[in-house]
Amino acid sequence: MSRREGSPEDPQADSSVSPLTHLEAKIRQTQSLARLLSKYAEQLLQEYVQHQGDPFGLPGFSPPRLPVAGLNAPAPGHADLPVPERLRLDALALEALPPLLDVVRRLQAELNPRAGRLLRRLEDAARQARALGAALEAVLGALGAEPRGGPRPEPAAVAASAASAAAGVFAAKVLGLRVCGLYREWAGRAEADLGALGPGGPA
Amino acid sequence: MPAGRPRPAAPGPPAPPAPLLGLLLLCALGAPPGSRAHTAIISPQDPTLLVGSSLQVTCSVLGEAPGTPAEGLYWTLNGRRLPADLSRLLNGSTLALVLSNLNGSQQQSGDNLVCHAPDGSILAGSCLYVGLPPEKPFNISCWSRNMRDLTCHWSPGTRGETFLPTNYSLKYKLRWYGQDNTCQEYHAAGPHSCHIPRDLALFTPYEIWVEATNRLGSARSDVLTLDILDVVTTDPPPDVHVSRVGGLEDQLSVRWVSPPALKDFLFQAKYQIRYRVEDSVDWKVVDDVSNQTSCRLAGLKPGTVYFVQVRCNPFGIYGSKRAGIWSEWSHPTAASTPRSERAGAGGGCEARGAEAGAGPVRRELKQFLGWLKKHAYCSNLSLRLYDQWRAWMQKASKGRQQHRARAACPRAEGARREALPDKL
Repeated sequence: MSRREGSPEDPQADSSVSPLTHLEAKIRQTQSLARLLSKYAEQLLQEYVQHQGDPFGLPGFSPPRLPVAGLNAPAPGHADLPVPERLRLDALALEALPPLLDVVRRLQAELNPRAGRLLRRLEDAARQARALGAALEAVLGALGAEPRGGPRPEPAAVAASAASAAAGVFAAKVLGLRVCGLYREWAGRAEADLGALGPGGPA
Repeated sequence: MPAGRPRPAAPGPPAPPAPLLGLLLLCALGAPPGSRAHTAIISPQDPTLLVGSSLQVTCSVLGEAPGTPAEGLYWTLNGRRLPADLSRLLNGSTLALVLSNLNGSQQQSGDNLVCHAPDGSILAGSCLYVGLPPEKPFNISCWSRNMRDLTCHWSPGTRGETFLPTNYSLKYKLRWYGQDNTCQEYHAAGPHSCHIPRDLALFTPYEIWVEATNRLGSARSDVLTLDILDVVTTDPPPDVHVSRVGGLEDQLSVRWVSPPALKDFLFQAKYQIRYRVEDSVDWKVVDDVSNQTSCRLAGLKPGTVYFVQVRCNPFGIYGSKRAGIWSEWSHPTAASTPRSERAGAGGGCEARGAEAGAGPVRRELKQFLGWLKKHAYCSNLSLRLYDQWRAWMQKASKGRQQHRARAACPRAEGARREALPDKL
């Protein structure tokens, strides 16, 4: 009979292994979700630029990276932060995305009414971002970290975004490009940050 | 098309309450230091124009910049840089562009006209909508499936493309009373179609028309008046079975059931059958299968797989005088004719012997066979005689002299029953 670590007859050993294993499984699941949504976000971006026309899909196209009210791109020093803090920022960003994606979907419904697949992808993206944000908060809760450290996105942020889009069709197209790009960035960021939670997990 | 001012947009983009304020808010709050992002404005914003018209548009640098900030700016349209000779400086901060004889927009979301700084960065953008007003929709045709719904489709206009998002709305009302209704379920049967699923009246005419609208105008089709009962179609006949007719090598029997959805209504159904050889794309059609649920195909090739389909036309429903609308074809059903027993002999001894024995009677029968093969239709009298003759021929080909002596008038009953398992 081979030796095994942790005798199956030792209940104390079982209860100490089980929660950590559960947490690890949760982290891996959430990371898989983030990986999948990163791929969907990339597809959404490709679909989006196709329907806006050139130069949106051209290589080298660089519209002004204006900040979207209520949501920023990951800061340059994001990767240097402690992992729980990174995950907290990821969760905040993903929570801010759904209303912005809804604004983009409404704008695109007027600009590209026949682009059924694009409109469905935008609708799905809002649900996906919400789901990933909730999964990240669950991981943070399991880690014992404070899930929300900052103010919730203000409804005015969404109104400001809508107003800036109302400044013209080109601005609306750029706004949508920016929001879809932010979704891709934050989904990818969440996948990387979850990967930083090694098998041992943070102390 | 003469050059002129752009037409004002019909139902264009919604008028923004404070577009410039919103844009400036973003610029003040968000423009990174040292960048010129969105520090200009294009006028007019998002104009709508007719194909072939001309447009003058300006890019004005905002703020108080020293020197001639508009110098060095350039334009792109859908990502392509426009020739410099189309632009001119109106003043130190404004660059104008004149576009002539515009083509229809490349995408429905509008052509992207962008004002660039000398380093290529984007200062401002505007979307041009260049197109045509909708043409009058025409050729509306409608059908009702089992009197339960109504589907209509139409043609958008002879010109086709308007280059602008164009909305088509199917409207309908009861001719003598009632309000206008708008169909909700579009693209049910193609891009220009709509489906009305319920709440339709019978024995009273409807008026149906299509309205087309885009940024440059609207158009309305002629009104089509119809009674639901005049445009009824139904499901394909179910339970289509194809089987051999005993050993007859050139016949197949086709049976089906009348569509159950209309079984409670009085109508005279017409059916059509089509069939083809397995490896062919050419269908042969059998018309005039009136109010029957079986038919026999004749003149087929022996030892061959055939695909058969049936469809139904419920004409005359509730006394309607109209021709009715054919259903879709049933799913293909396959069957094979028996192999020819004489084929292997290659016209060999038994056949030659038979010819020598029958003489002029056989030649006449062969001519009769040839004539029947040209007319593969369901004719009761012809087929009965033909079957009798065929059954007799098959027995004769097995080398029985006593059958050859009766070539003109085969003993009927037993042979007929063998050859004719179906009633005609």
